[in-house]
Amino acid sequence: MNGKNQDIRKIASLALLVFSLLYGLSSFRLKMGTLRSPGPGLIPGVIGVLLVVCTGIYLFRVFGKGSERLAEEEKPAREGKNYRAIIGILACTALFPFILEPLKFIVSTMAASLVMLLLLKPTRWIFSFLLSLGMAVGAFLIFSRFFGVGLPSGFLENFLFRFGG
Amino acid sequence: MLEIAQGLLGGLAIALKPIYLYYSLLGAILGTITGVLPGLGPLGAMSILLSFTLSMDATGAMILFAGIYYGAMYGGSTTSILLNIPGEAASVVTCIDGYKMAQRGRAGAALTVSAVGSFIAGTISILGLMVAALFLSDIALRFGPAEFFAIGVCGLILLVRLSGGSILQSFIMILVGMALGTVGVDFLTGTERFTFGSVELGQGVDFLPVAMGIFGIAEVLTTVEEKEFKPSIQKVKLRELFPTSQEWRRSIPAMFRGSFLGFLIGLVPGPSPVIATFVSYISEKRISKNPEEFGKGAIEAVAGPEAANNAAVGGAYVPLFALGIPFTPAMAMVLGTLMLHGLTPGPNLMKEKSDLFWAVIASMYIGNFMLIVLNLPLVNLFVSILRVPKNILMPVIVIVCMIGVYSVNSSRLDLLMLAIFGFIGYILRAIGFQVAPLILAMVIGPMIETSLRQSLNITGGSLGGFIFRPICLSLYLLASLTFVIPFIMRQIKKAPG
Repeated sequence: MNGKNQDIRKIASLALLVFSLLYGLSSFRLKMGTLRSPGPGLIPGVIGVLLVVCTGIYLFRVFGKGSERLAEEEKPAREGKNYRAIIGILACTALFPFILEPLKFIVSTMAASLVMLLLLKPTRWIFSFLLSLGMAVGAFLIFSRFFGVGLPSGFLENFLFRFGG
Repeated sequence: MLEIAQGLLGGLAIALKPIYLYYSLLGAILGTITGVLPGLGPLGAMSILLSFTLSMDATGAMILFAGIYYGAMYGGSTTSILLNIPGEAASVVTCIDGYKMAQRGRAGAALTVSAVGSFIAGTISILGLMVAALFLSDIALRFGPAEFFAIGVCGLILLVRLSGGSILQSFIMILVGMALGTVGVDFLTGTERFTFGSVELGQGVDFLPVAMGIFGIAEVLTTVEEKEFKPSIQKVKLRELFPTSQEWRRSIPAMFRGSFLGFLIGLVPGPSPVIATFVSYISEKRISKNPEEFGKGAIEAVAGPEAANNAAVGGAYVPLFALGIPFTPAMAMVLGTLMLHGLTPGPNLMKEKSDLFWAVIASMYIGNFMLIVLNLPLVNLFVSILRVPKNILMPVIVIVCMIGVYSVNSSRLDLLMLAIFGFIGYILRAIGFQVAPLILAMVIGPMIETSLRQSLNITGGSLGGFIFRPICLSLYLLASLTFVIPFIMRQIKKAPG
């Protein structure tokens, strides 16, 4: 059994139960109505109860004797996962919303892609820098000109947009 | 018949417009590329491109997605045959005998049989789609909320049974998906549900960031776990593409059997193209005069499953067009696209927007033709895409996902949702959860809730009033059988003697 995956499963099962409880409790604050005239809380209430029951059973299995069987059902874990890259990509995706508006599209996209490139396969940083610059500029020209997507623009973007035709 | 012929001709007139031909070609190429790349299947491609279809009209978007879906099926089989790498799940079976044929120097024949089989299957399934969707939509016009509730519930139950993995885990995913579907302002009473005072959440959890996160970002995270893979790519010469007459004789009947089987399986909820390939492989082996050749390079084992997976694509469109209910995650993407364009699929759409329906049907023919013309001569080019290092490809996919999500509402919340659901999708996959039921339930959930509440209003709160209607009862019985039959089979096997 893969210990790390088992730990992740335990945390995930707890998170699912917490989500279910929060959802269930919140749904009971809504008006349930009657069967004749169901209120906005009826279906969420039913879903909430079922969620608590199912995630409870799942938690019991994960922490109980069923845990070994659950581990057998899953895909075998790969050796030597690149956790640095996984966390880095997630961090880039999570931070991107906060830097996009202030830094505008090209700088923020370049920063995100540079970090990802360096994390995935550190090569000479100048190569990664040029590649990320190319990706940011290319993406801006393709998406704003070709698809007409409205992307946050500053001086650089306005200059490129004119330059791009 | 006259209605079908008229509709198809009208559809061809639209689909042959240069802009739609371009979308069809673009979809076929993008689909083939995503099919070739392991991991990034049609779902990933559709989720990534979903937002960009906003710059097109609904017909163009549908044509693009149909091209991607068919193209991915073609592309997936190419790498299965040449490299023993299934580009997507429906091509796993093709690896078994396709790669063995390639090792024997018959890669060209396997590729041609796969392409011709896919073309024949595509054509048969499109014919089936036209007839079945028209027939079903006429009936569906007489359906009330009770019937739609029954279809939605039974679809989800069948999905749990057929999507593989643990029933409990699939059920949890369905409930989480339905819970997400309840977020936002209640359509009947205007009450805010689970919005935490956020105006943006008042419109509900957007389908796009959830789908892109769970299928796009999570796929990237799963892919970067693996070590860099550098395949040794073998070249296929054009003159090697022609099968021998004996190979044709063995494969053509298998193509037709696979087509019919695949179309029927495509109508059922769940990962129909994958199931269709396995069922086709097993049935071909059973009826073969040379079953001992299976696993060693039998051409029927390539022709049948390849036809079956393409035919299942056409089958999967039937419930979406006729009933407005997606039974597969890819169809949920198609539904999402239609809704982004302000359209609600279902029997009424087929009547009111018949030009869209027929244009999509016609473009499927055209797309299939394009694929066969493009893919065989360009097979070496498509396979060489595997040479692009993933450390470049993966950041590109992440950037495209982020731009895609941002482009719809220019919303920071949507971008955050993308990151959150990317993480959730990755964790869920890592611990063995199937994420497809979550997406489907998120789409079908609101429809189920609406139908149930309308039904209860109509029947005055009587549950029997909408359970014991002929169509509903038949559907509930059918869904129950999927649990009862395996239970009985297990008891029979356990019984002594």
